[in-house]
Amino acid sequence: MNETKVGVFLSDCGNQLSQILDFDALVNHVKQVPGVALVVKASEFWRGEGLKTIVDAIKGKKISRVVVAESLPKLSEIRVVKAAEEAGLNPYLVEVIDLKDHCAWPHRDTPSEATEKAKAMLLAAIERAKLLEPIEKLEFPITKSVLVIGGGIAGMQTAEDLADLGIKTYIVEKSPFLGGLATRAGRFFPTDDCAICIQSPASDVKTITHTSRKCVYRSGFTEIPNLNILTNSRVIAVEGATGNYKVTIEKKPRYVNESKCVGCDLCTTVCPVAVPDEYNAKLKKRKAIYMNVPNVHPPVYVIDENVCKFHDCAKCVEICPTKAVELDQKSERITLNVGSIVVATGFQECDPSIVKEYHYDEYPDVITNLELARMIDGFGPTSGEIIKPSNREPARRIVIIQCVGSRDRRWNPWCSSICCMISLKHAMLIKSAHPEADVTICYIDIRTTGREHEYYYERAREMGIKFVKGRPSEIVHDPETDMLIVDVEDEILRRLLELEADLVVLASAMVPAEGTKDLADMLGIELDQDGFFKEYNAKLRPTETKRRGIFLCGGATFPKDAPTTSLHAHSAAMKATKFLSAGKVVKDQKTAVINEEYCGDCEFCPVTCPYGAISLVPKGEEHFVAEVSDLLCEGCGICVGTCPVNAIELRHARPNQMSAQMKALVSVNGTGKPLILAMCCSECGHTAVDSSGMAMMQYPANVRVMKVPCTGILQVHVFLEAFKAGAQGVMVVGCKSDGCHYEVGSQKAQKKVELAKILLNEYGVEPERLMMHNMVFIEGADFAEAAKTMTERLEKLGSLQLTDVS
Amino acid sequence: MTSYALFLGCTIPARQPHYEASARKALPQLGIELVDLDNMTCCAPPPLQSIDLETSLSIAAYNICLAEEADLNMITLCTGCFESLAMANTMLKQNEKLKARVNQILSSAGKEFKGNKEVKHYLQVLTQDVGLDRLKKSVTKDLSSLKVASFSGCHLLRPSALLKFDDPERPHVFDELIEALGAKSIWYRNKLKCCGGLLRGYADDVALAIAREKIVNTTKAGADCIVTLCPFCFLTLDLGQMLIKSAFHEEYNIPVLHYAELLGLALGIEPKELALDFHKIRLDKLLSEIR
Amino acid sequence: MVHEKDDETLRAGFSGEIKHRLGGETITLCYQCGTCAASCPVAKVTEKFNPRGVIKLALLGERQEVLSGSAIWLCSSCYNCQERCPQKVEIADVIYALRNIAIMSGHTPNIYSEFASGLMKEGRIVPISKFVEKKRTDYGLPPLKSAGVEAIKKILSTTGFDKIQWKKEGTP
Repeated sequence: MNETKVGVFLSDCGNQLSQILDFDALVNHVKQVPGVALVVKASEFWRGEGLKTIVDAIKGKKISRVVVAESLPKLSEIRVVKAAEEAGLNPYLVEVIDLKDHCAWPHRDTPSEATEKAKAMLLAAIERAKLLEPIEKLEFPITKSVLVIGGGIAGMQTAEDLADLGIKTYIVEKSPFLGGLATRAGRFFPTDDCAICIQSPASDVKTITHTSRKCVYRSGFTEIPNLNILTNSRVIAVEGATGNYKVTIEKKPRYVNESKCVGCDLCTTVCPVAVPDEYNAKLKKRKAIYMNVPNVHPPVYVIDENVCKFHDCAKCVEICPTKAVELDQKSERITLNVGSIVVATGFQECDPSIVKEYHYDEYPDVITNLELARMIDGFGPTSGEIIKPSNREPARRIVIIQCVGSRDRRWNPWCSSICCMISLKHAMLIKSAHPEADVTICYIDIRTTGREHEYYYERAREMGIKFVKGRPSEIVHDPETDMLIVDVEDEILRRLLELEADLVVLASAMVPAEGTKDLADMLGIELDQDGFFKEYNAKLRPTETKRRGIFLCGGATFPKDAPTTSLHAHSAAMKATKFLSAGKVVKDQKTAVINEEYCGDCEFCPVTCPYGAISLVPKGEEHFVAEVSDLLCEGCGICVGTCPVNAIELRHARPNQMSAQMKALVSVNGTGKPLILAMCCSECGHTAVDSSGMAMMQYPANVRVMKVPCTGILQVHVFLEAFKAGAQGVMVVGCKSDGCHYEVGSQKAQKKVELAKILLNEYGVEPERLMMHNMVFIEGADFAEAAKTMTERLEKLGSLQLTDVS
Repeated sequence: MTSYALFLGCTIPARQPHYEASARKALPQLGIELVDLDNMTCCAPPPLQSIDLETSLSIAAYNICLAEEADLNMITLCTGCFESLAMANTMLKQNEKLKARVNQILSSAGKEFKGNKEVKHYLQVLTQDVGLDRLKKSVTKDLSSLKVASFSGCHLLRPSALLKFDDPERPHVFDELIEALGAKSIWYRNKLKCCGGLLRGYADDVALAIAREKIVNTTKAGADCIVTLCPFCFLTLDLGQMLIKSAFHEEYNIPVLHYAELLGLALGIEPKELALDFHKIRLDKLLSEIR
Repeated sequence: MVHEKDDETLRAGFSGEIKHRLGGETITLCYQCGTCAASCPVAKVTEKFNPRGVIKLALLGERQEVLSGSAIWLCSSCYNCQERCPQKVEIADVIYALRNIAIMSGHTPNIYSEFASGLMKEGRIVPISKFVEKKRTDYGLPPLKSAGVEAIKKILSTTGFDKIQWKKEGTP
């Protein structure tokens, strides 16, 4: 192998730093370091001539490692690394440090001390650079197709976008018809248009223009090229990994051939079995062979196998003019190979029987908002008439109760977020059809936070809908008058009211869809505390999950109204497209690597890895070793911090690299103060140091910053090594414990620090010498303060006397 | 015979010997032995909890300790006693820190709460130890013409998280026990709501207004009598009708009985054995309907 | 013994004071939905008591008004509200905590002084008349067992109950 030749490039940031740092001394210091082949000083290296100097040196084979001292906030690292790569040097052989924000500016009051610290920083970068190893780019082929789970408005819109973009798309819907909750809702707020109206596919078809919304049945949804629709189907197994999933679907028999049925309705006229229609709130009966409503999709009948008498009856088979009824259909297993999965399983209305004081399960005239929606729908079971289900008489005194089983710590603590608007919509639709109706909404808070939603509320008041601020304590059925009585306090009047009602409507909580937990387990993705699918990051990655290639949209993550669901659906489609478009995942191999000689038979790392990147594989008889997936590993090193036998390392933060860096940082003092090593994670911890420097907050130069991938990589022996090398104190600076970029890293570090405080006491290290800090960028002042406090504390403690335990 | 340490409390021996007499005579006929222990005190009910919760918990725990020492589970007649004792028993069994705090206090009286005994209301003993079948078979009188407005009182059911007696919104245990005797238990408005008894002595007018509502609702529903479990409810509804008469000039005369009395009558115990002369509202008509 | 503190200094901290007392732990969960008021049998017959109102006043730090007023003594401890509270505020227990603080601060209704003295003297809060005690034999009831007055006295002295100064303020 060729000799390692380090090129060191010192920027004085347009001569600013020369006011503080003695560059001549730095250059002389660096030149003496073994392995340094080139030292150049200029005013900047992140662009222009400076950058060209680096590129030329690489191209001229003068150097094989690059150390650049620049200002990090200027994106210098990205620019330099890219340029080096283009010049033919592996980007992982470049080390960039910041003499401005990490040294000159925060120590401008003590220039000679700053110069000494700069020497240490340069030495550390050089020593680390000498030990760096090239890291290769890996490519993982992926299957360019998507499975969308759920055929409600979220799933349909995502699938449509994906298919339009030329990606092979499957949509799996568990019920026999597409449309999900929306089809039952009838109308949507705030426009009061049909819920089943969707965007038109971009396909160039005579009846479809890109500007129009269309009824689902006219939308041509089923005709979109690349889109495969599987209704009456559910996911039963998922195998494989990112980019290449093998999904097993169970397609239940419909008993009606989709390609033969003409939807003539003759079958339902002869079917002798009638059961309460769940879809229509049991307000009417349906036959064993049925369609929910005439405008459903696909427009093909289905047989309810739980009630059909099959060959004992077979009247439908006899009458069907196209021989579409096939009573011997069996359920099928279908295997799909997809690169990506979008979860669009939505939410459901909670059964409000749990709120016993409202007697939903006892009183037929207590119904839910979704059931009311069926009554309001002209296609619904009452043809739009509002009735008392108990006797089918018209209901004219209607009380709607908000937050039923929602915002209720006994059941579902969250606000279901859409019920206020749903209830307002229902109240207004009733009032428009029946101006004489008396409609009262009992609420805790009216939440109309969307665009135009407040006007909707305003219109409801104009229409004479009554509002009572108060959550009812009980609904009582008076058997004498057959009336419902709602006990409620109007808080504004401070008066107890007994509202008389023909019909009470419960705005029942919106909860995770059935089967959410099972699906999450199958996909290996997380749920939040409320049981909804959890996104990777609510602010920045609202449609992604921790598993690359698995996306979320719509009500699966939280109850959403239609506009928000649309936004989410289109966003998920874009993310999935971005993931699939290259047909491969390209990723640097900055991953963990196992030393199989030491590894064996423990489960710490596979259990701890936040990305499920480590598995155990058999090695010989009854012996297991860990195996790292380079595709899933994010290179945080939390596994390293967990391994009890040091059998796992990061390629880009090997123990010898970290050790050399650490020793160099405390090799020069020159401040007369106790040396402190601040082990900062590469994310929030390091940015807190940036920001204190950017704001020129002053802290003493005895504080030396060592960047690690994540504080989760640290182990007790690393702290001991730091003290042995000469550090008098150690600060561990990680992300907030609930905001770690690698999920659990800073929590793990916290525990490690607590443990080290106990263990290192044996070596004479007082617990106060080791501190954990959790900081983010905007807390630069806290970093400066902590550095000062630690310095003072160490000065009081006096010099560290390490006990020789051996 | 299943033996229980009888916790009598204050109000029953002081004011309602008819409750005590009917229980002492009826329960042994069903195989329940009531054992009297020395040194029991007040259970520390809401009036004392209002003064100091920690002291009240300690007093309740002290009484449970007596049953623990006698190696007996405890039975209460009064619903108020049941609430204070069962609540303390559950809280201290669930919460180690609280238990340690209370045991520190109890050590001054030479006691230690261990948490190895149950506190049961006698309705629980009737359903769990005797059983509805045996109860039905033991009935010798015909109560079938009786329409009963059952009123369990608040503290049999609530706080349900600690008492775990019955479903607090849809209780059924008490009504089943009434129907087991042959009578009919009827629905009336606000059945589960309070009688106001605990406000007597502080705000008599408020207490009476609440009691009146209970009397009005049960009368409206056509009840022949109200059946209670708690001596406070009894007092509020029985004596209360006298007070309503003078305050509101309304006369209801709806008889109020403790369940133990109805049980005694159903088992065939002679009315004069049951000290029924302590009732303010006459029972003559009611007794004539029990054959 | 806690004495009445300067109202201003305690205003901010009253909900904290309640939270730290046995029974008062859940008060800050309240979001004022009024389920308690609608459940309350007392609020139904008098405007002097509204559990939601009491909690609101306490959360606003109106210590003096809460402790010296009659409202906290008008709860009938029926626990209806507590069962139904959607935020799991232990309302009846919060009222006990408020009553405990009120008594420590010298606001004791007469009837409670009577309960306390009965307990301290006889170990029972309802005195037993000679008349009823004699009648027991007529009904075939066994003689009454004696109450553990000594044990009660020791417990009361340990918790400081016997040192509470029973100001006779009368019914507020």
